[in-house]
Amino acid sequence: MSGELLSANHAAALAATLAGRANRSGRGFVSGVYPITPSTECMEYLCVQKIEKGKVVRVESEHSAMGVCIGAAAAGARTFTATASNGLAYMAENCVAAAGLRLPIVMAVANRTMGPPWNIWADHGDALMLRDLGLIQIYCADNQELFDTVLAAFRLAEDRRVLMPVMVCMEGFILSHTVAQTVIPSQDQVDRFLPLTSIPQQLGATPHSLGQIELPAQTEAHRRQHHQAILGAQQVFEELAGDFASIFGRELQGAVVPYRTEDADTLIVSMGTMGLTAQRVVDQARERGEKLGALRIRMLRPLPVQAIAEQLAGKSRIAVLDRDISLGFGGVLWGELARLAAPGAVVQNYLAGIGGGDVRPEHLEQVLADLKGRQTAGSPVFLEAL
Amino acid sequence: MRLPDGVELPLEIRVHGRGGQGGVTCAKLIAALYARMGLAVQTFGDYGSERSGAPVQAFTRVDRSTITNRNKVYRPDHLLVLDPGLLETPVLSGVAPGALILVNAVATPAQLGERYRGYKVATVDATDIAREQGIGSSSVVIVNTTIVGAYARLLGLPLELLAEVYASLGVTGDLAAAELAYQKVQIQEASLTPSPAASDTPQAAAGCAAKPSPTRDAGADTAPRASGMPAVTPIAGQVLDVPIDLRTGLWSNQSPSYCQYTAPCNAACPAGNDVVGFIQALKEGGPEAAAALLLRTQALPSVCGRVCPAPCMSDCNRRSFDGPVNIRSLERWIADHSDLHLVKETAAAPRQIAVVGGGPAGLSAAYQLALRGHKVTIFEAAPALGGVLRYGIPAFRLPLDALERDLARILNLGVSSKCGRKIDAEALIRLASEYDSLIICTGFGAAHELGVPGEGLPGVEQGLPFLDRVKEAAEQVSGHVVVVGGGNSAIDCARSALRCGAESVKLVYRRSRQDMPAIDEEIEEAELEGVRLMTQRQPVQCLGSDRVSGVLLAEVEAGPPDASGRRRPVVTDRTTLLPCDRIILALGQGNGLELLPAQWRVDSGRAWAGDQPLQVFFAGDCCTGEGTVTHAIGNGRRSALAALADLEPGLRDQCKAAEESPSTIKEGETQADRVVAPAQIRFDHFQSDPPAKDRHIPVSVGRESFQEFNLGLAGPEEANRCFSCGRCTNCDTCLIYCPDGIIYRAADGYRVDLEHCKGCGMCVAECPRSAMEMNEKSLPGGSL
Amino acid sequence: MISEPQLCGMAQTAVDRKAPLLRPGNTNCGGCGMSNLLQMMRRAIADRPVQLVIPACCGAISAGAFPQAGFGAPTLLTTFASAAAAATGAASVAALNGEETRVICLAGDGGTYDIGFATLSAAAERNEDILYICYDNEIYGNTGGQRSSATPAGAVTSNTPGGKLEQKKDIMAIMAAHRIPYVASLSLAHADDTLRKLRHALDLRGFRFLHVLSPCPTGWKSEPALGIELVRLAVRSGLYPVLEIFDGKRHQINIEPDFSDEALEMYLSLQRRFQRSGVKASDLRPAIDQHWQNLRVLSGRIVPARRER
Repeated sequence: MSGELLSANHAAALAATLAGRANRSGRGFVSGVYPITPSTECMEYLCVQKIEKGKVVRVESEHSAMGVCIGAAAAGARTFTATASNGLAYMAENCVAAAGLRLPIVMAVANRTMGPPWNIWADHGDALMLRDLGLIQIYCADNQELFDTVLAAFRLAEDRRVLMPVMVCMEGFILSHTVAQTVIPSQDQVDRFLPLTSIPQQLGATPHSLGQIELPAQTEAHRRQHHQAILGAQQVFEELAGDFASIFGRELQGAVVPYRTEDADTLIVSMGTMGLTAQRVVDQARERGEKLGALRIRMLRPLPVQAIAEQLAGKSRIAVLDRDISLGFGGVLWGELARLAAPGAVVQNYLAGIGGGDVRPEHLEQVLADLKGRQTAGSPVFLEAL
Repeated sequence: MRLPDGVELPLEIRVHGRGGQGGVTCAKLIAALYARMGLAVQTFGDYGSERSGAPVQAFTRVDRSTITNRNKVYRPDHLLVLDPGLLETPVLSGVAPGALILVNAVATPAQLGERYRGYKVATVDATDIAREQGIGSSSVVIVNTTIVGAYARLLGLPLELLAEVYASLGVTGDLAAAELAYQKVQIQEASLTPSPAASDTPQAAAGCAAKPSPTRDAGADTAPRASGMPAVTPIAGQVLDVPIDLRTGLWSNQSPSYCQYTAPCNAACPAGNDVVGFIQALKEGGPEAAAALLLRTQALPSVCGRVCPAPCMSDCNRRSFDGPVNIRSLERWIADHSDLHLVKETAAAPRQIAVVGGGPAGLSAAYQLALRGHKVTIFEAAPALGGVLRYGIPAFRLPLDALERDLARILNLGVSSKCGRKIDAEALIRLASEYDSLIICTGFGAAHELGVPGEGLPGVEQGLPFLDRVKEAAEQVSGHVVVVGGGNSAIDCARSALRCGAESVKLVYRRSRQDMPAIDEEIEEAELEGVRLMTQRQPVQCLGSDRVSGVLLAEVEAGPPDASGRRRPVVTDRTTLLPCDRIILALGQGNGLELLPAQWRVDSGRAWAGDQPLQVFFAGDCCTGEGTVTHAIGNGRRSALAALADLEPGLRDQCKAAEESPSTIKEGETQADRVVAPAQIRFDHFQSDPPAKDRHIPVSVGRESFQEFNLGLAGPEEANRCFSCGRCTNCDTCLIYCPDGIIYRAADGYRVDLEHCKGCGMCVAECPRSAMEMNEKSLPGGSL
Repeated sequence: MISEPQLCGMAQTAVDRKAPLLRPGNTNCGGCGMSNLLQMMRRAIADRPVQLVIPACCGAISAGAFPQAGFGAPTLLTTFASAAAAATGAASVAALNGEETRVICLAGDGGTYDIGFATLSAAAERNEDILYICYDNEIYGNTGGQRSSATPAGAVTSNTPGGKLEQKKDIMAIMAAHRIPYVASLSLAHADDTLRKLRHALDLRGFRFLHVLSPCPTGWKSEPALGIELVRLAVRSGLYPVLEIFDGKRHQINIEPDFSDEALEMYLSLQRRFQRSGVKASDLRPAIDQHWQNLRVLSGRIVPARRER
């Protein structure tokens, strides 16, 4: 198998490097970075790259890391940062700012449980907490996908119809630190895939202010614009996937990844690496003659409502796995798509792998057994003692 | 409690105010009033990013029970406007005809205009009342507690209720203001034919609500426009520079203007010279430019530049900083370094005018008349013109050539002089009929005597004849000389005596040195030359047999003050004998109008025959007795112009206008109010720099001869020290310190952009020389 | 022997920036010290290209309500703590592209001394090519006047009704400790000195920090017209030292105070924020004297123990 042996963290950094270099005849590349487990090695790898017309700034906090990206993006450069968990929470205010200013900043998040109590292992709660801000979120399951998605994220973010931050997520340790073969394209190919960064509102010579105070009606209009744009991002993503394929000779995964769902009556829906585990369970179940399918959600924002609804149609039993919990409610993914199932379907939430537990096929078998026994959906179920 | 008349519930009230000026509190005060009546209330402000001064709104609702309406007030039943400037904003939106409107304004309800006729309108000048009561700061007057008093009156509420409410809120201190507003508010009922409904839509009033649109699909393409607001353009559109269009000039009720105040030197100058004017002209344009200004009022600049007592310097504001500007010597510099002659005007109807007396008053009168194109003849008893200038002031103070220069300038204007001609009463009557006008400037009369035994002894003489003789030819004076007196003449006699060879000169004066009327510099120079002052001494007897050999001096104490404030000298009986060889008396002179015809009487500076005023005027010491050259020059000028004005009524206003100082006096002000005091000069803007001193020839050389002792200034740089009190010099301080940068250079100075001026007053506070002032916009001089 | 106010020919240069930096019609309070500062900056900047980076302070409101531009230069408004970080980004891009653009942070004392402190310190430590100007009105002005660590002891603020107990943080010493090329305090009452320093700071490379005492009539409860005079009094009394610090070591006092208690008393009496707490000049004098003792040492009254090689 071809490809370099890289961890997903390093792959993300490398994708950013290639993308940064691709802007060398534009206004260059700037990154603000700060370490936090399990994202640290992403930024470390970035710091040792040589990027023509690029600068990586080792700042003093995640808030400032995004701050640097905001300033640089506003000045017209391509930008990137990486963080996780509490770092993402500290960065949150500036994520709001980046999104509100419609800046095409790409960020790699190594999803990790938020604390205290401190926990360094995987949990989707950090990124999900920021899903309402007006940035695009895509959750990845393997190294190649992660690399490809980060690369594509630059093109997606900078598209004039989109113009907002893109957050590419990988589960901490489980994906971030796992090393696997990753096909890396040439700089020339990347140059062809990524046009030079140029945003309409960038600071030039004309006096204008980015981020001014405004009145309620103006905010409504701005939100509407932003909402439209993010909804339209799915279409843009599909378009660029076509280019991606023709330049890199490889398919970019779509907004949702269905696995053997066409004739399934039962579905396991999940995000991230658990989706791959679900696929293995699907194969096993199929051998037993069960009509099981798996649906992995990659793009959470914009939520690909139509695609999901199509996949959920006709399924009478649906297990939604959440490696996260909205305390006082239940799993976020479940909350988002339960209403998209067919009326009468049993859509049951399973909280799997919260705090980083290793979700194995046997756990999913438990899930299926539980689901099978249900006539109606109940409250979210914790898969404890993993 | 009963509801006030005309009030129906639920009641909605809207207050329009300015940020930082208590609009929200106003609404709260009103709420407190109603709450006191047992009603349910709700009050809140419309918050935003308003800074101090920007328009803000506040709302109050009143009802019987808990109010559930949480929106802003779009249809007020009562409207308060806390600042008349706000009437330019859409305050009337949503206000139905017949509603109650209360405005803080100087204007009466009728003066507010047609638009308001359909409403019950009331106005009160709450700003004036609140400012008087000291509520708020001078640029930010807080009117809320005042205007609520007027509001209470409109509702027919008793003052006691107001007092209770104010006490409960801890603002009893402002009750007096509220009560004044209660009394003074003027009310106009709604007219029967209401004015057309207000054109603004209710939504626009609140300023920010979009038109309520039907539910739109969140994915729809178009961004709807809220009325009156710029559209939100698509993000991928071009970046545009959209300038701000806020008229922040509406924020304040005061605005700055450039004005002139009177410099103290100008106020002090007895000749009425534009001192600050000529010094600034010297600085900017050199001696010729300065002379062009100075010569308009000053007939004898070379003279005054040497001998004027310079009250301008005593009053110079720079005295309080690092020493007065050496104005006298600057005047001398101008006279000595310029050769300008003013162009003679052509008079529409040239007059023939006779001037009797060729001293400073007469010369000044002749000069002013000749400048204006009239034919003047001076009659002088002495052989040549000049009076005390030629015959009294010694040459070491006023050299002859300096005097001749000034005289030449006057004679060049076509003035004729007839010297050696003494005029008596008969001649006066004849002159009065021959000439269109007659101006009498004969100066002082007889010299005062000592009135002590032995005064008749040889060797005791009057000072003026002594000075006169000394000017003719050098006189030998030997031995020890005593001069009695404290004025300039006494000093002149003392210094002249030295130059004539006296072995010693002592000057005896009955009061203290500070009380001596002589010019300080002259006293100093006399002391440098060796004159010894003996103050608080009075001669009580001259001793000697066939010639004076000594004088008995009594000690004098300062007694209680007299009408002028000076302490009356009290002669004691402690005496000492001072040997001397000559006593010179310089005790001042009496009035000099002995030559007048018996049928003439003097009143208000002119002669009268019975009830008839004659075309005969007096000028100088003979009528005012002020005793200085400069007073004489000023008086001569004014009397000449008064004489002219009397010949032609039309001229009177012209002459009056020429007299008035350029600083406009405001209502209630006197001329004195317009004089710049030291406290009005911003000393911090200037660097300390002591005055340039006059140079003089060495004392040892000076006291031996009558050559000019004082050499004046080395150069005109002293003019740079003039603060230019009350007069703008385009120093740009206002322009640089304006926080909003809205002062611009204009052709003749500066222009303030009143559309954007927030009335902060920094320009006026920083002006180094008090050449700006703040005006209330609603008063004359302001912009509203 | 000059007697006129010396304004350095400030208002008469040929390269005056024709368009204002802070435009008329802005919503700053009348008499705002930040407005004065922006007028001076306009003259100093002249024809240089600049970008302004302003955090969520009063300056962000001066930028105008969308879409009207309050500033005559491209401006980025950032979150409260982020000015120095965003400016780092913008300055990096200018450097990468070989542009002459000067990136200027304009932040209040809140965003500098408090919430933005870490960001500021890190950018200074990296010696980013940024001109950081702190206009210090000694309160959180934008939120209605709460205390900051720049509020002087004895000042009443909206959340310290009895007067703040703690001393004002010494931001000059803190920034000097970062060994950046240039640290200076500016007096708005001394226009020529201010202009000289602004021009100097604009020409240098590396991190430059300017501290400006910015009178705030709204927060200080003083007359708007007296803003410049208050700064003048603060300088005269020694309360506000005006100096430059080069490379974190060489200290140069620019304006000698006369340490007058009369000036200090006048300064306090003209602001109700001091009157209400009852603080007197004699209360403040010991700290002022102590501070000046240190400044005298730092500005070279003592020969250093070891000579530089």
